[in-house]
Amino acid sequence: MNLRVETQTPQDGVAVVALSGEVDVYTSPRVKQEIVDLLNRGLTRIIVDTTKVEYLDSTGLGVLIGGLKRARERDGDLRLICNNPRILRIFEITGLTKIFDIHSSEAEALEAVR
Amino acid sequence: MTTTQPDAVVELCIPARPEYVGVARLAILGVASRMRFSYDEVEDIRLAVGEACTSVLDRAEGQAETEPIRIRCLIHSDRLLVEVRDTIPLPEKAPPAEGEPGLDDFQLGGVLIRILMDEVSSEEERETGAHLVRMLKYVAR
Repeated sequence: MNLRVETQTPQDGVAVVALSGEVDVYTSPRVKQEIVDLLNRGLTRIIVDTTKVEYLDSTGLGVLIGGLKRARERDGDLRLICNNPRILRIFEITGLTKIFDIHSSEAEALEAVR
Repeated sequence: MTTTQPDAVVELCIPARPEYVGVARLAILGVASRMRFSYDEVEDIRLAVGEACTSVLDRAEGQAETEPIRIRCLIHSDRLLVEVRDTIPLPEKAPPAEGEPGLDDFQLGGVLIRILMDEVSSEEERETGAHLVRMLKYVAR
């Protein structure tokens, strides 16, 4: 398995999902399941940290888009932390920077969801 | 796309299963890294080939046994042509737009492929029913 998923809850109702490794057609179902589980537990403000993501494909993007949609349906939100130029470029060329709030650090993302 | 003889050909055959797409990406990383591509260009090619394989898996979903995905890298001094071939039937839907046959099937993955590579084409082989995607990347002069 080339992906690690670690979740912390630093604030009430807020979950930070840190991904490390490759998010692709093989591993993205784990990310989807984690997001669905968090929403089902009432954690509707989700921050996905992609700082340590080395590879992200369209299935990973699809999972994040789906997560954002589900979170908003529950009056929540899904934000991203991304400071890897390579990963950021994928969001830019697909136009997804217009859909996601993307932060450069966890502190900045947590401040935004307060 | 140009048809001159390549300097070298690298072929890879992977099972049409999600856990093997990473193997194709590793192989293409090795091939592209040997050429005069920049780091970003190598990453673009890796992502495009991964997306082409993933689109095959989307069609293979729910099918019990499928033929493998065949990836063929035709290495030229000034360009890399990657062919991704499979025999999984295309979904029944409205005919694709003229000029880019079959590319609509890729959706977001297809958008990425078209942005990341210099030339992309897709065709279905009538005799075999195989589906072939060709992706070309030129080495910057």
